[in-house]
Amino acid sequence: MRRRVAIVGYAQSHHQLNMQKTREDMVFEVCKEALRHAGIMREDMDTVVTASSDFLDGRTISSVFLSMAVGAFMKDESKVEEDGTFALYYALMRILAGTHDVALVEAHTQSSTMNAHQVSCFMLDPLFDRQIGVLNDIAAAALQARAYMNRHNVTEKHIAMVAVKNITNAAKNPYAHRKMPDLSVKEVMGSKLLCAPIRELTMSPPSDGACALILASEDKARKITDKPVWIEGVGTCQSSYLRDRDIEKLDSLETAARTAYKMAGIKNPAAELDVAEISEKFAHEELMIYEALGLCKEGEGKKLIEKGTTQKDGDMPVNPSGGALGADSVCATGLVRVIEAAKQIRGEAGRNQVPGVHKALAHGQFGLCAQKNTVYILGGN
Amino acid sequence: MKRNVAIIGCGQTKHSSRRRDVNVAELVSEAVSNALEDAKVSLREVDAFVVGNMPGFEGIAQADQWLGDWIGAAGKPVIRIATGGTTGGSVGQGGYYTAASGLHDVVVAVAWEKHSDSKEAGATTGLLHVGLGNFFHASAYGLSLKNLVAINIVGAAAGVAVYQARFYMHRSGCDIRHFDMVAAKARRNAARNKYAHLQWPGCTHEDIAKTEIITYPFRYGHVCPASDGASAIVIAEESIARKKAKQPAWFKGLASYTDEENQLQSENFGGVGVTDPSEQRGAWLSAVKAYKMAGINNPQKEIDMAEIYQPFPSQELIFAERLGLFDEGTAWKALEKGDTDINGRMPLDPSGGVNATNAIGSSALQRILECALQIMGKAEEHQVPKKVHNAVAHGWGGVTNFTTVTVLGDTPGR
Repeated sequence: MRRRVAIVGYAQSHHQLNMQKTREDMVFEVCKEALRHAGIMREDMDTVVTASSDFLDGRTISSVFLSMAVGAFMKDESKVEEDGTFALYYALMRILAGTHDVALVEAHTQSSTMNAHQVSCFMLDPLFDRQIGVLNDIAAAALQARAYMNRHNVTEKHIAMVAVKNITNAAKNPYAHRKMPDLSVKEVMGSKLLCAPIRELTMSPPSDGACALILASEDKARKITDKPVWIEGVGTCQSSYLRDRDIEKLDSLETAARTAYKMAGIKNPAAELDVAEISEKFAHEELMIYEALGLCKEGEGKKLIEKGTTQKDGDMPVNPSGGALGADSVCATGLVRVIEAAKQIRGEAGRNQVPGVHKALAHGQFGLCAQKNTVYILGGN
Repeated sequence: MKRNVAIIGCGQTKHSSRRRDVNVAELVSEAVSNALEDAKVSLREVDAFVVGNMPGFEGIAQADQWLGDWIGAAGKPVIRIATGGTTGGSVGQGGYYTAASGLHDVVVAVAWEKHSDSKEAGATTGLLHVGLGNFFHASAYGLSLKNLVAINIVGAAAGVAVYQARFYMHRSGCDIRHFDMVAAKARRNAARNKYAHLQWPGCTHEDIAKTEIITYPFRYGHVCPASDGASAIVIAEESIARKKAKQPAWFKGLASYTDEENQLQSENFGGVGVTDPSEQRGAWLSAVKAYKMAGINNPQKEIDMAEIYQPFPSQELIFAERLGLFDEGTAWKALEKGDTDINGRMPLDPSGGVNATNAIGSSALQRILECALQIMGKAEEHQVPKKVHNAVAHGWGGVTNFTTVTVLGDTPGR
């Protein structure tokens, strides 16, 4: 990278079912808190990049009444759609270009405004798939889960074990949505069947929530904090559309991870990474993500969950915060992962803390069957 | 230290009310392949895409995921930017940052709109939806009667522009005749631009004056169309740009500063006290910052032409002043003298601008594209006669609060 860039502050809301706050209030609070956390003023930041979706926000130009709430008044501002990790990517590019030094990145969705699964129908090919009316993100994920299970002999129990790991981790996370500390595999496998094999508890919950983080160039970062979290590698990629790709694999995540690893100089991710925070909108995706990230060989994702490798106290902890299964404020989810990974490096993750984290991975995704993926490699001093 | 970045190829589609011959994906790929052909760049050489449109207008959420394959974006980074009327400008600027960051070398920035796929014309009702969006919260949390009324009287894009135009008329002393002249100029210029929508060779301000008043001070002849169309630019870092293009259009300065968002509502939540929607301090600040980055001290002398986002003719006058091309309140006098004509001292919108062609998501990118064409000398029939060294492209939108200003030049700024 042309410049070193670090995360110097962050904040997130409590992700919950129905927040009973306006979007503007929710967004204002996390942005103010992120600035306070970094110990800087609104005047100290040069640019603001936000992430939200017109469809999910239920209005045209979703960012239009948020420019004051995010502190962008008379600031260089822009908005990306889709996941917050794309907003972070854009803010990072603005700093790397040398035109800006301090950026605020914000992402949010209030799932109580618009049903995210209903909105997913509008992401389908409008000429054919949408007209047939049998697919949405859950149905597409069910096809993916079944194909993956058949190919690699994965059982519903493996998938339930992922859900138990993440949801019980989420119970310790004060910001997470799901609070089920005693969840069992049996309970997950007995939860409401939505579209076989997807069940209520193997799918992320619809949450209202927002998050924000502050990004700074090296010289500014060192002035702002003595605990900067450096962005050492980044990669993003989009797969072909649902019909035109092999949904049993996450090829775009593989590409994104390869790019990020190369940039960060990581050769053996399973050995070099201390923790990973990933966006698994459905529990089976976590196993696929293990493989795409190169934490194990293809088809061996189930072994990691069988052996407990990815538990919080395992060799390669994944989602100690509870991941997307713990809370899913759609556009914010990936950016929350970045924040959770940064917290691990700074030792600020409280009851979710993994001891001795120096290098962490954060992943964000968007689209049907995780069509777009972004990977960040973060490191401490 | 900063990386020089240039536009090396431009592509757009023919614009019309209904492009029945293509679907959205085909429309977008038409612009992208035209741009790649113009840049002499193969798809294999492109390493990132920046895309955008107004998602609600065609009713497709995150359309890039469906149509990514149609433009060869699969297996590559795709960043989707949507900021309302400024979408195209934001996409073009996103393309700059993508290449300038050093993460990518060759970037395609593409924006589009296919209004005819919408049941209603998004161009005129789009802003109403922005206001109506507040009803979700109004019903859930309550909203004072005063604010509720304010939301409703916004009255969509034309309603906003009317308030703005009246403020400007009062401030500058221009009258409705000057709006006739701007609109007639846009139609005439568009007649020389083969991609433009509303073409009217030899249109005069008397012709426009014959059309009926819709809402004072706007006549039917003043209003932009709702177009189907797409535009794309290929952006590359310096070494590739010099190899591929004889005359690249260099990015010299850019900014997108956000203004007060509630100027049209009777209450001023931001507390900045701006109630005049023609004041546009965000546009003024964006211009100041972009010129500073470009090393331009006197835009009136150093800028050779401008492409201004003017869905309504009053906006060409307002923003020409905000971009520092004319002194406060004098743009209409320059218009009278013919300074803003295609062969004038300061040509404004030689392509016909948004007033003649408005595929909303694409409109602000088209401004950047048209400036690039002028610098590259590829504007054909609507090429301005004088040599263009520096050009400024403007985008405008949101609820009058978003602006993008991009300065392009025939040499790199630094």
